[in-house]
Amino acid sequence: MSSSVLAKPQMRGLLARRLRIHIVGAFFVSVGVAALYKFGVAEPRKKAYADFYKNYDSMKDFEEMRKAGIFQSAK
Amino acid sequence: MAYPYQLGFQDATSPVMEELLHFHDHTLMIVFLISTLVLYLISLMLSTKLTHTNTMDAQEIETIWTVLPAIILIMIALPSLRILYMMDEMNNPLLTVKTMGHQWYWSYEYTDYEELNFDSYMIPTTELKPGELRLLEVDNRLILPMETPIRMLISSEDVLHSWAVPSLGLKTDAIPGRLNQTTLMSLRPGLFYGQCSEICGSNHSFMPIVLEMVPLKSFESWSSSML
Repeated sequence: MSSSVLAKPQMRGLLARRLRIHIVGAFFVSVGVAALYKFGVAEPRKKAYADFYKNYDSMKDFEEMRKAGIFQSAK
Repeated sequence: MAYPYQLGFQDATSPVMEELLHFHDHTLMIVFLISTLVLYLISLMLSTKLTHTNTMDAQEIETIWTVLPAIILIMIALPSLRILYMMDEMNNPLLTVKTMGHQWYWSYEYTDYEELNFDSYMIPTTELKPGELRLLEVDNRLILPMETPIRMLISSEDVLHSWAVPSLGLKTDAIPGRLNQTTLMSLRPGLFYGQCSEICGSNHSFMPIVLEMVPLKSFESWSSSML
């Protein structure tokens, strides 16, 4: 009976290796989610407010609202 | 005002509310970070048969998971305190308006120059005109000048109420026998809605607040017409 010697499988440190890989993975995933929220939601929101107020004319806005008839004090 | 299926805050109308929005984004980002990490670790633990049952101590990781949360808490506390103190800043209000909570309406008093006061009752649903908002409209709105700091003094004539306008980031309890102060500053004209925010009896949900922010000139001609 001919038998080829198989390579000895990795038998130790399996959990430690798994943890090493996944700690790094967990770090990147969680920081990635935070970065996604920051650059997908938080920064666009800041920009939206900055853009809105950059050229905002409150008197023009008021006149449009007044013509629409929504105010009690200014008809 | 609020709209159906709304998930987040109303659009900010005051600088303080803008700061609160950005602070909430910052804190929610941290919440998502921690929740994702915990979810990842739980699913990791549930998806292996490998075990390690003879750990005696683990000084390094214990240090990390003590120091890192402390840092995260400081990262939340510092902006929080910044906004807290910002909300308390003296900003030389041009006008002082008093509001008293009653069961079940608000009354407003402008007593800086002359005596002007009126009650503000909710408009019943059966009396709404087309386009008006159910349970939010009032007969006499609180009319104020925009782009000016205004001091609000809030109290109650009977039970606890709370004067809240979410779009301006305002919520102040109306407590009988106590005078609470808050400052109001709207960057835009328009109508801003709020509702009583402290349980006060059967019609607690039916005593809304409506702010009408107009230019100073319009405010002056309105107030002189009311006297």
